[in-house]
Amino acid sequence: MSVRHALLALLSDGPKYGLQLRQEFEDRTGEVWPLNVGQVYTTLQRLERDGLVESEGDGDEGPQRGFRITTEGAAELATWLRTPPDMTSPPRDELVIKVLVALRLPGVDVRDVVQVHRRYVVELMQQWTRLKDDAADDEVGFLLVVDAELFRLDSVIRWLDAADGRLARLAADPPAPPGPALAPRLRRRQGVRR
Amino acid sequence: MSALELRDVSKVYGEGANEVRALRGVDLSVESGALVAVMGPSGSGKSTLLTIAGSLEVPSGGEVLIDGVAVSAMSRNERARLRRRAIGYVFQDFNLLAGLTAVENVSLPMELDGIGARKARVAGMEALEELGLTDRASSFPEELSGGERQRVAIARAVVGDRHLLLADEPSGALDSANAEAVIRLIRAACQRGVAGVVVTHDAQLASWADRVVFLRDGRVVDQTRPPDGPESLLAPKAKS
Amino acid sequence: MSLALEQRPRTVEVAGSDGGAARRAIFRWSWRLFRREWRQQILVLALVVFSVAATIVGVALAYNGGQRLDPAMGTATSEMTLSGSDRADVVAAQSAFGAIEEIDHQRVAIPGTFDTLDLRAQDPAGRYGHPTLRLVSGRYPSGAGDIAMTGSAARTFNVRVGDPFVANGVTRHVVGLVENPLSLSDEFALVAPGQADPPGQVTLLFDASGKQLGAFRPTGDPTSIGTRSTLNKTAAAVIVLALETIGLLFVGLVAAAGFAVMAQRRLRALGMLGALGATDRQVRLATVANGMVVGVVGSVTGAVVGLVTWVALAPGFERLVTHRIDRSHLPWWALAASMVLAVVTAVVAAWWPARSAARSSIVAALSGRPSPPKPAHRFAGAGGLLLAGGVGCLAFAHRNQNAPNAFLIVVGTITTTFGMLFLGPLFLRGLAAVGGRAPIALRLAMRDLARYQARSAAALGAISLALAIAATVAISAAAAAVPVAEANLANNQAVVSLSSGDGSAPGDGSAAISERTEAEVRSLQPRVDALATSLEAQAVIPVAEAVDPASPTVSPGSPTGSAGGTVSEVPATLGKVTAVTHGGRKGIEITSEIPLHVATPALLTHYGINPRDINSNTDIITGRSDLAGSVVIAPRGGPTCDSAQSRCRVIGARPKPGPAARSGPDQWHPTIQTLKLPTYTSAPGTLLTPHALKEFGLKSVAAGWFIQTRSPLTTAQINSARHAAAAAGITLETRQSQTSNTQLRDGATAVGLLVALGVLAMTVGLIRSETANDLRTLSAAGATSATRRVLTGATAGALALLGALLGTGGAYVALIAWHRSDLHPLTQVPYLDLVIIIVGLPLLAITGGGLFAGREPVSIAHQPLD
Repeated sequence: MSVRHALLALLSDGPKYGLQLRQEFEDRTGEVWPLNVGQVYTTLQRLERDGLVESEGDGDEGPQRGFRITTEGAAELATWLRTPPDMTSPPRDELVIKVLVALRLPGVDVRDVVQVHRRYVVELMQQWTRLKDDAADDEVGFLLVVDAELFRLDSVIRWLDAADGRLARLAADPPAPPGPALAPRLRRRQGVRR
Repeated sequence: MSALELRDVSKVYGEGANEVRALRGVDLSVESGALVAVMGPSGSGKSTLLTIAGSLEVPSGGEVLIDGVAVSAMSRNERARLRRRAIGYVFQDFNLLAGLTAVENVSLPMELDGIGARKARVAGMEALEELGLTDRASSFPEELSGGERQRVAIARAVVGDRHLLLADEPSGALDSANAEAVIRLIRAACQRGVAGVVVTHDAQLASWADRVVFLRDGRVVDQTRPPDGPESLLAPKAKS
Repeated sequence: MSLALEQRPRTVEVAGSDGGAARRAIFRWSWRLFRREWRQQILVLALVVFSVAATIVGVALAYNGGQRLDPAMGTATSEMTLSGSDRADVVAAQSAFGAIEEIDHQRVAIPGTFDTLDLRAQDPAGRYGHPTLRLVSGRYPSGAGDIAMTGSAARTFNVRVGDPFVANGVTRHVVGLVENPLSLSDEFALVAPGQADPPGQVTLLFDASGKQLGAFRPTGDPTSIGTRSTLNKTAAAVIVLALETIGLLFVGLVAAAGFAVMAQRRLRALGMLGALGATDRQVRLATVANGMVVGVVGSVTGAVVGLVTWVALAPGFERLVTHRIDRSHLPWWALAASMVLAVVTAVVAAWWPARSAARSSIVAALSGRPSPPKPAHRFAGAGGLLLAGGVGCLAFAHRNQNAPNAFLIVVGTITTTFGMLFLGPLFLRGLAAVGGRAPIALRLAMRDLARYQARSAAALGAISLALAIAATVAISAAAAAVPVAEANLANNQAVVSLSSGDGSAPGDGSAAISERTEAEVRSLQPRVDALATSLEAQAVIPVAEAVDPASPTVSPGSPTGSAGGTVSEVPATLGKVTAVTHGGRKGIEITSEIPLHVATPALLTHYGINPRDINSNTDIITGRSDLAGSVVIAPRGGPTCDSAQSRCRVIGARPKPGPAARSGPDQWHPTIQTLKLPTYTSAPGTLLTPHALKEFGLKSVAAGWFIQTRSPLTTAQINSARHAAAAAGITLETRQSQTSNTQLRDGATAVGLLVALGVLAMTVGLIRSETANDLRTLSAAGATSATRRVLTGATAGALALLGALLGTGGAYVALIAWHRSDLHPLTQVPYLDLVIIIVGLPLLAITGGGLFAGREPVSIAHQPLD
């Protein structure tokens, strides 16, 4: 989550104070991502250092200090909007690791492990859906964030379903011992994303 | 008393080498006003569960109770009557009878029950109005969009005093916006007191349900716990 | 609905009945579907319309084909013809039978012919005879100077209304044209009652029971006594019933195929209906209602089409049956029954697929999966039983030769057809097994036929039935087709006879010959040559007849007073003789009498017959094959007879000489040899050989000339030639129009084949339209148009071949059962017709199917909405 660029985006409307920035950020994202004031100010300081924003007051540290976006800042924001996030290297997903571990451990039913996670994710989705149900139609930002979360969780469910199906087929028709080639192939990829 | 109760229901298709055990001792209870989603991979028996719950098929073992009455004790005709008085179906893609307008499709179950055409039409129009389809009442199925067709099917499933709504992948052929509209309507019907069962493999659709039942190889393997409330999801500060 | 009811009462009453509202809703749905999809049902609809229309026309023809009333008797039940001078019997009859209508007859000779015109003195408003008279134009004769005539008589005498007309010395004026609506071929002139004086004959019409008639003893010698027969009506009723049965079987079979296809197409909708809570009965109703709609629409349309066709056909039909037809004289009960039965048949045809649709699992129906076909052997057993039962019925129905049991015929036809229908799946399975190793398109076609056996078996049944009818007609026609002489002469032939007209109908062999000297004959030659030239003759051949030198001579001055002046002799004829007893008098009845001519060298040369081909012991050579059992009738000795009374001529039936003659009187059974000779009754085609003349002491007498012309004779040529002949004192005979049975049979065979072909095209279209999806998939998979052609052609060809084999086989089985007492006629096999049915029709079907199937499917991706 790039707080940096979110603040730059908020400042592109016009100069704002730090507290004001925090409030607007939370409003726009439907309060899904909480932000503390310290995080705001640290980020603003880095932005100022990089010359992307400039403060309005005279070095007056505190909540009354206003910030304005610079030309460089606007250019940086425009570039960022159009730069796709790095999706080439797989994230080190804990759920995937858990299932892989369960696969190797004797005495563990992998499909039960999968089902535990599936149920948990569906419960999470139920809660998100309830939030969506309660939201008003004009809370666009909030609804978009909830949708994003639902689709992300949905993708997890789909992966779990696919894994379940693969495991079920494996159980029905056991192949030659599971290939250890899986890990090396993954490791060979460079730059595992955080 | 549950609107729908399945007790140790099993279903076997074929015989001998071709025997397929679609359901193996399923227990399920759906209260009035509750929406239950049944999730499972294809071949898990979830569609069979729905057809047995809706008395379209007879279970090989176990008992189905609708409003506390055992279906197995009923004759074919009594089951038909039960379907048109208590049960509404929504299928994936084929729901409406060509040759009948939207409102005629909706009021057909009532007419089958011997209610006069005019009275049935009034009830049908009411149901369509609920779903915001008044202006499409005289359209034939092929003049309706996919989403509209599913909405008409939902109106038909709840018209009259029907209080058990069974849906099999009701949003299967629809885009996400229409899919959400359809499941919202089903949920709204449940909030008015209808007991609903949605069979799906779509987690987003299932997440609208009060309870999600997981089916695998003809058995109920798991179900969700009652939700704690949305707050738990967000950071303590978020919903200040 | 809009309120959330927390404590909604949750008891569902599942008992009770389904009201009329449900039926109305389902009917409405069916009607809507019919309106939307009538194009897909147009084949079935067209067949229902066609069948009902054909049944109605057939019923109307059968009903009106027979006579309602006897053309001579009118409404009377009995008729007696007396000599004109026999007044005593008229009075006696009057006192015996009460009300009597008297019709006086005189004969008027038609110049230049053998014919006479009947001059009738009859009351147009007569008690019994009034239906035998109808005024065409002008008025009925009322006074002594009035006369009316039939149109043909007026043409013969070349007179019009207003012209004077001289008959037997009395001059009258033509006041109107009349006809006998009961017999259009009845040619006569009409005068007011009592104006035919003195009458040559008197006809009495009266109502009398057979007993009364038997008790009546006339003092004189009545020429004929007749009573009205009622056999015709029974025969017509049988035909009507059989036609209806077969027509409706047809409707049923085709409709069943159509409805099976339709139910399959609507399978998902029917499943949905069941899911919505429709009972089995309501699901059935949805399909049955469609059948009812098709039945009602089809039968009403068919009735209208049929009646319009009937009215349009009636004038032609009147000429065919030679009596006037009242267009509205129809068996309305039969028409109404056939319409009702068509609806019932359509409903029953729809009921079968409806039943299987209602019985199949709702879940399977919703997913569009048809229930698997029942094993074919289960049907086959029932089919075999039905077939045996049906054949048994047919065999039993014909036990009484004269009064076949109509009920058994109908039951037998229906049962036989259903037996064939039930055997169909077995044959289709066999076909699929045979086609199992064929190329893919062929294999697919055969397998589809077996897989969708509900519709293909019904289609097969319809095709088999149509072909069975065609085969039955062809076989029966062949069995009955011992070549029968059909007309007196070809239309490019004429016969000049030395005798002058004496009142005998031509061609019945009873004309007496006025013997002429050779000089007389020679003197006539130039006039005959002139006559032949006017007819554009190709050949003029003198012909001779044979007489017994001891033949009774005919006295001149017969009642009509128009005989020639020279001595006449009665020539030898050929006929069948049976002993009869009539009114207590013993006598001999001659039937199938035909004239005999002498096989002169000139005649044999004309026919291209080498005299050496004639066996030395042959008495008679002929082209006909129906003469077995005939005897030569050469009157000799005995009393002098009036030629008008043919009865006396048989007295001298000549015994065969040789050993038989010594053992007692016997008829002369000649040795007959069949050669290629014309079979017209008046053409010299049955000839006495010189051997016969010598053997039996007959003498050859010049009888006239046979004229063969280049082109058919026109009416004008005939009329002028007649006048020329009359002037020369000779007579001319030309072709008399006559309906031909052979033509009728050929027509029936052709119509049967056409109907079969039409049904075949329709059913194949029906079946292949259902496999449009397969065709699309095949096209998408890269199948060329050749594959599609093979697929459709093979389907059509297979159905046609199976149908032809089953139909022909069924026809033979049924006919063998029918003719079981005498199978001989069935040995006459109509090879050509059968080859056309069994080989030609399948080939035609394959070609046709292939031709029409080459087209690319309209859209590969398009799928119609369910």
